[in-house]
Amino acid sequence: MALKELSSLEKCLGLKKPNKYSTQGERKVPVLQNNNGPALVGLVTIASHLVHEAKRTELLGNSAEQRAVVQQWLEYRITRLDNCSKEEVKVILKELNQYLEDKVYLAGNSFTLADTLMYYGIHHIIMNLAVQEKEKFLNVTRWFDHIQHYPGVRHHLAPVVVLRNRVYPSGQH
Amino acid sequence: MNLQCVVLQSDCNNCGGILIQYESAAGLCPSAGTVLWRRLRNSVYGCSWRRCSCLFVCLSVCVAFCSNGVEPSSRPAADRTLVRVQELTPHRGGQLVWVRARIHTSRAKGKQCFLVLRQQQFNVQALVAVGDRASKQMVKFAANITKESIVDVEAVVQTVEQKIESCSQQDVELHIERIFVISQAEPRLPLQLEDAVRPETEGEEEGRATVNQDTKLDNRVIDLRTTTSQAIFRLQSGVCQLFRDTLINKGFVEIQTPKIISAASEGGANVFTVSYFKTSAYLAQSPQLYKQMCICADFDKVFCVGPVFRAEDSNTHRHLTEFVGLDIEMAFNYHYHEVIDSITDTMVQIFKGLRDHFQTEIQTVGKQYPSEPFKFLEPTLRLEYREAVAMLRAAGVEMGDEEDLSTPNEKLLGRLVKEKYDTDFYVLDKYPLAVRPFYTMPDPNNPKYSNSYDMFMRGEEILSGAQRVHDAQLLTERALHHGIDLEKIKAYIDSFRYGAPPHAGGGIGLERVTMLYLGLHNVRQTSMFPRDPKRLTP
Repeated sequence: MALKELSSLEKCLGLKKPNKYSTQGERKVPVLQNNNGPALVGLVTIASHLVHEAKRTELLGNSAEQRAVVQQWLEYRITRLDNCSKEEVKVILKELNQYLEDKVYLAGNSFTLADTLMYYGIHHIIMNLAVQEKEKFLNVTRWFDHIQHYPGVRHHLAPVVVLRNRVYPSGQH
Repeated sequence: MNLQCVVLQSDCNNCGGILIQYESAAGLCPSAGTVLWRRLRNSVYGCSWRRCSCLFVCLSVCVAFCSNGVEPSSRPAADRTLVRVQELTPHRGGQLVWVRARIHTSRAKGKQCFLVLRQQQFNVQALVAVGDRASKQMVKFAANITKESIVDVEAVVQTVEQKIESCSQQDVELHIERIFVISQAEPRLPLQLEDAVRPETEGEEEGRATVNQDTKLDNRVIDLRTTTSQAIFRLQSGVCQLFRDTLINKGFVEIQTPKIISAASEGGANVFTVSYFKTSAYLAQSPQLYKQMCICADFDKVFCVGPVFRAEDSNTHRHLTEFVGLDIEMAFNYHYHEVIDSITDTMVQIFKGLRDHFQTEIQTVGKQYPSEPFKFLEPTLRLEYREAVAMLRAAGVEMGDEEDLSTPNEKLLGRLVKEKYDTDFYVLDKYPLAVRPFYTMPDPNNPKYSNSYDMFMRGEEILSGAQRVHDAQLLTERALHHGIDLEKIKAYIDSFRYGAPPHAGGGIGLERVTMLYLGLHNVRQTSMFPRDPKRLTP
């Protein structure tokens, strides 16, 4: 799963030469063997490395504050989102929904790596939500739809249908 | 024992007895039972509260010289006309009227007692105050009458400046001069009517009691007295009436079909068996076969209203084991769409009739169960099954072309249609042949589909219908294809052998239609004495 993400990320960043990844441990943590130095372990580490390689450092944030928020969301992805239980899903969706109420992107006002990796991570959850639930977490759905249509982001993942109009009136949740 | 007594009136209007007021040594009898008078000894009269014969303070109670002391059940009409609570409006201000109603609530405050008198959906505030017409004992008596007792009151209709929000008659109040108990209720009611009418949300927010459905259904007689239940069933009666009237106007004939039948009509699994002398018989799952036979018997257009019995072990919000089926069957000339148009027109007439003549009832139900008003289009929206599948796929649902609609998909489709066309009522035409019963006529243009249709209200199915196979040979083929034992349906197939016109029809469930029109969530609320796998009484 993580390997697919990384290869999509490479395509998204426009890196020409795909890297070879291996996995480590029973959780299949991706590992990148580097020629000049120790191996890079972990999805976020490798992803950041790829961003630097592609010289697209703006994806990690422009200001210090934005960089911090990006890192925060990358950590959220690994610690909270991956392998979460069914009960936690509702909690996560509620948190995200509240956070995204007044924001277009997760970190600051531009598209960052945080958006990409959170999109990859949350895709399997959103895909299985019923229409009524998608409308309940309206802000998450809006952000998700925005990111999945962002040029170059969605590679290995199926598009999730998001209806343009509300089908369930707001009183019915 | 000598008691001081004062004769108030020697010729009671109610029963011709003597109205006596007593002083008592013992005080008010605490057991507050039925007021019975018994002649204890020659000169002493006492009241025996049920099972307790203490002497007590009597307050303007009528002495009846009948054997058991209760109001004699019939007597010649006294010189009083009873006014309906509904008619207590400011235009009767100042009038002295007699009203018979139930005590809904009573609240005593020192020298006054406030009562709310209820008659079906209407209630009015009434007041007993110490004054020249009422004594302190009378106020006490009024306060002690148990809730739900039926009383006759003579009162002056008084207009009020401030509207009484909690009553249906908001502009008037009754000032009681005389009050009689006609039928006393037991003091402990199995459920409180105010709780039964309270909306769920209000109950949660304010922490007040609401009554859950099982309790309501177990004590149905009392639950049916609530304003909401009265409104629901009056509206249901309206549905039945509009159905009949519309169809009679269209030239339909009402028929009655047998409910004890020899063979299961829709398939053997969901049928009740009854013992029939030396053999057994079944309770009809639908009047299907007989409706069709009537068409073959040249009745052309028929409908029937009657019970339908389905032994489905489904404990859902919309299934009953016995419900009232409103069924239509009609011979058509050239295309089965003539029948669809007729049925949808009937439904639209019913909706219009409800909208125009039952607004009070709809509002009353809306107080406890708020919902969006029912919307429909004229002419009725008709979609093909293929379009519906496309709409669902566009919303992200994965389903096959010939797959039946699951309940969640039906509901989602209902919402998509509502959003796109703004209607709560629509027809889905040309269902796939594979999911319909054997007597459904296949589509001549496409063998995968059939000339069958379903109608939906608020996203839930209310009618399943189709053009029927009217050719005996084709019917036999279809039955064999479905693996049905031909012996069991021999009489059915035979009815088509001697010239049968092409015909189509469908059936709706009265309870479901009422439930969905009002936007309620459980069909048991619209069935007076519902039957389901777990409930056989009351």
